[in-house]
Amino acid sequence: MAKIDIHVNILRYRPESDEKPRWQEFAISVDDESTVLDVLNEIHWQHDGTLAYRRSCRSSICGSCAMKVNGRNVLACETPIHRFGRKLKIEPLSGFQIIKDLVVDLDPFFEKLQRIKPYLILDKSLPDKEFVQTPAQLEQIGESTLCILCAACSAACPSSWPNSEYLGPAALLKAYRFVFDSRDDGADQRLEIVNDKNGVWRCHTIFNCMEACPKKIKITEYLSRLKLKVVENSL
Amino acid sequence: MEKNFKQSSRSGAVAWLLQRISAVILFVLLLFHFLTYHFLTRGRSVDYQQVLERSQSWWFPLLQFAFLLTALYHGLNGVWSVLEDYTASRGWRLVWFSLLLTVGLALLFVGTLTIIKLYTLKVA
Repeated sequence: MAKIDIHVNILRYRPESDEKPRWQEFAISVDDESTVLDVLNEIHWQHDGTLAYRRSCRSSICGSCAMKVNGRNVLACETPIHRFGRKLKIEPLSGFQIIKDLVVDLDPFFEKLQRIKPYLILDKSLPDKEFVQTPAQLEQIGESTLCILCAACSAACPSSWPNSEYLGPAALLKAYRFVFDSRDDGADQRLEIVNDKNGVWRCHTIFNCMEACPKKIKITEYLSRLKLKVVENSL
Repeated sequence: MEKNFKQSSRSGAVAWLLQRISAVILFVLLLFHFLTYHFLTRGRSVDYQQVLERSQSWWFPLLQFAFLLTALYHGLNGVWSVLEDYTASRGWRLVWFSLLLTVGLALLFVGTLTIIKLYTLKVA
């Protein structure tokens, strides 16, 4: 690994002293194989200990470190800086209230997730052993279960920005994941919840969510299937 | 919170379905339009006289009126769905909806007049 000099612009916001967010530039030297998270750690540990950001697993599993880097929503822990050259512009996710620096208030995001009942609903009695699912049934929901709830998709969705009541792609994807789960009996309840002017119909297949998803989940495609399911169910 | 997410007759399901149906109809009508106006010309190049002759076939007003209605619905429904995204207040929504309805009716009127005019124009 070789050392390289980079310029990092970070959108800072301290609620106790700042009226509005401001940019702060750091000129630092890091390994050329660093990730964005390595860069933030370097700044936090060696240059400015007041920088606030979320991090946890460093393995793109926990979904804590989603942020906007050079205009794209990414997970800081899995994104190498060589994707962006020598200049990095790091901002918090759009569409959420900033708590401090790169930390945003994700409470509304998780409240919306709760609304679609993100758990298995069973009417039937439990089987003696495990539930049996065919490969085809698993295939239908397999990719959608990979969501790590990082909120990168919802923050990238233009329909979410002006409308805080819109459920957003992550919650709708979770609804898809249970509606199409062969083991689940709560489809009718969830379809009723997503069939709302602030539900699945606010999705206009813009594809930003798919582009932002660090797990490369085909969110837009699944939401289209969900729309079709709602219509089929209503007819 | 829960009350905002109950099913309603204005959920958007019907508008979504009609937008897809009108898109398919538009595609078929557009194909028919191109075929009849630009390709089935019996070897002649497309000129004013030929367009006028075709415009006076019995199917012309039917096709064009279907085209006009579908295109107006599809276009205005699309614009309305975008405006709904960015307009939170009921008052402004009513203003936008009224404006779109007025534009739609005006274009329907002008379009219908044009179709009738073309159908009844005397071929020289």
